[in-house]
Amino acid sequence: MEPRLTYHMLQRAAKNHPDKTAILYKGTGTSYRELLDRAEKTAAFISSCGTLPGFRAGILSDDPVEYISSYFGIQMAGGVSVGLNTQTTPRSLSYHINDCQMDGLAVGKRFLRILKETFQDVPTLKFMVANSLEGFPSEKVNNSITFKDLWEYDSSALEPPFRSSCDLAQIIYTSGTTGKPKGVMLRHSNLLANTKSIVKYLGITGDDRVMAVLPFFYSYGNSIMLTHICQGATLVVNQNMVYPNVILKEMEDNEVTGFSGVPSTFAILLHRSNLHEFSFPKLRYITQAGAPMSPALAIRLKEAFPGVNIYIMYGQTEASARLSYLPPPDLLKKAGSIGIPIPGVELSLLDESGEKVPVGQTGEIVARGENIMAGYWNSPEETAKVLRPEGLRTGDLAWQDDDGYFYIVSRKSDMIKSGSHRIAPKEIEDVVMEHSEVSEAAVVGVEDDILGEAIWLFVVLKPGSNCKLQEIKKHCRRLLPAFKVPHKMVITEALPKTATGKIKKNDLKKQASERISNR
Amino acid sequence: MSDIKEQVRDFIIENFLFGEGGEDLKDDDSFLEKGIIDSTGVLELVEWLEETFDFKVEDEELVPENLDSVNNLEAFISKKQK
Repeated sequence: MEPRLTYHMLQRAAKNHPDKTAILYKGTGTSYRELLDRAEKTAAFISSCGTLPGFRAGILSDDPVEYISSYFGIQMAGGVSVGLNTQTTPRSLSYHINDCQMDGLAVGKRFLRILKETFQDVPTLKFMVANSLEGFPSEKVNNSITFKDLWEYDSSALEPPFRSSCDLAQIIYTSGTTGKPKGVMLRHSNLLANTKSIVKYLGITGDDRVMAVLPFFYSYGNSIMLTHICQGATLVVNQNMVYPNVILKEMEDNEVTGFSGVPSTFAILLHRSNLHEFSFPKLRYITQAGAPMSPALAIRLKEAFPGVNIYIMYGQTEASARLSYLPPPDLLKKAGSIGIPIPGVELSLLDESGEKVPVGQTGEIVARGENIMAGYWNSPEETAKVLRPEGLRTGDLAWQDDDGYFYIVSRKSDMIKSGSHRIAPKEIEDVVMEHSEVSEAAVVGVEDDILGEAIWLFVVLKPGSNCKLQEIKKHCRRLLPAFKVPHKMVITEALPKTATGKIKKNDLKKQASERISNR
Repeated sequence: MSDIKEQVRDFIIENFLFGEGGEDLKDDDSFLEKGIIDSTGVLELVEWLEETFDFKVEDEELVPENLDSVNNLEAFISKKQK
C-alpha cells in the first residue's frame, strides 16, 4: 500500500523487513520492528496526555533512536513534529516552544540543563519525555516519563487519530531575513512527494546503508532519514564531523553504500582526513546540497571516490528539501550547475513582474510541485511574500543554459550559508546591539575554504568605551547558538555607508578579504 | 598542574567556553560529549597546537584519542615534543 501519511513509511518498512537494522548508532543496531514499537509507545503515551490532533511537539536530542521514534510517535498521535537544533540556547529554545505553542517535548540527556533555564519563559506543557526532571518545577509539566519507562509503555490500546495527507506533519525552523526564525509548515503530502522523488533519482533500495552525518532537524538530514526509512534501508548515524577519520572508519567498517554532506563536509574530508587510507568498495553514491560545488572540488572529489556517483543537489526547507539535482555523468561537463528539476518539480526563472526570462539571462528560481510547503507558521505576511500564484519564490537568482541546466548566480537576501547552517545577519546584529557598549554592528558572510562562508562581525563601540573583543564574544556566546557566534570579530571606528546611511556590506566583505590575505 | 595542561585548559576555556564554566571542565571530560567543540572548533584547536608547540598535526592524528580532552591533549603534546 502506498503510504498516505509520513509514518506509514515506517510501518511498511517494519512489516516488510522487521528484523532489518534501521539505525546503527555507536555500534548498536535498532531493527525496524523495535523502531516502530518505540514510535507506537511514544504515540500511546502522548495520546494519554490530552493532546488534540494537530498539536505541536518538539524533539531536542542527538540520539537518533530517541529522535526518530519521537518524530514518528508524535505524528502517529496526530501531532506535528518540530525537530529542534541541538546547538541551542535557553533564549532560542523558549522562542521555539512559544512560537508554535508546543504541547510537549522529548529531550535528550545532554539538553536538560538548557531546558531547565527556559521554564520561567514557557507555558505549562502537557507532556515531557526526558531522562530526568530534577530541577523542573512540577507545575510546568502535566505528564512526564523517562525514555527508559517509555520503552516499556503499554501501546496495545493505541489508535492513531485519522489525519489527512494534507494535514501538517512537521515544522522545520529556518532563519528568516527579518532575524526571527520562521517555522516552515510541511504537510504529509509534501514530505511523501519529495521522498518518492529523491528515492527515484538516487535509486535507493532496502540494500542501502547510508552514513548519516547531517542532523535530522534540518531539512537535508530529514530527507536522508525519510528516504532511507521509506525503502527499509539502514541509517549509520554519527552526526559529528569533528573527527573526520572516525566517520571514515565507520563508513569502511559498515560498508556504507551512500554518503551525504554539505560543502564543508567534503572540504573537511579532503583537507583534514586520512581519506586515502580507507576503502569503500560498496559506496555507490555521494550527495551534496547546500551550495553548488566548485569545479575544483568536483574534480578532487571524483578522484578521491572513483566510480562513485556524485549528485549535486539544490533545494530549500520550503520545498521539503529538494528541488533539483545534477545527474552524476554531468558533474564535470556541467560543473558549477545545480542541474535539472527532480521528478515532480517544475522550475522556472522569472523576473519581478512574473515574466519568464530568456535562456541565458538571470531570473529568480520559482518552483512548483507537491513538495512545496503549506506556508510559514503564524506568518501570513511572510508566507504571502514567497508563496505566489506562480509558485514558490526561492529568492535565489540563476540562469539556465541551452540544455536546461540551472546555474545559481546569487541570493536576493544577504543570508549567510556557513557549514550546514543558514544564518540571518540581522539576528546576530540584533543580539550584538543588546550589548550596552555597542553603538553599531554589521555581520557579513566571507568566503571560507571549509565553511563556504565564515561569519564576520564588525562592531563600532560607543564613544569612550574600553570594551574588549572578548566581552563581545562572551555576550554572543551567552545569547546565540554556537553556530551563529561570529568566527571573526573586528572593532572598527566606523562602518562604511551609502549617502542614505545604508551599511555597505560589500565593502565590509572586501575589508575582511583584505585582512585574510594580509595574514 | 603541568604547564602544558594549564595552557591547554586556558585555551579551551578562553576560546570555547569564553571564560565561563571553566571550574566545571574536568580534565578527562570529552569535548565531543560535552558539546564543547564542533568541526570548525577542532580545526582552530589544531591551528593553535601547531603555532604554540611548533609541530605539525598530521591528518591521521586528528582523532579523539589525541584531541578530545585536556588529558588526551596533554599526552599528545608531550608525545609530539619528544
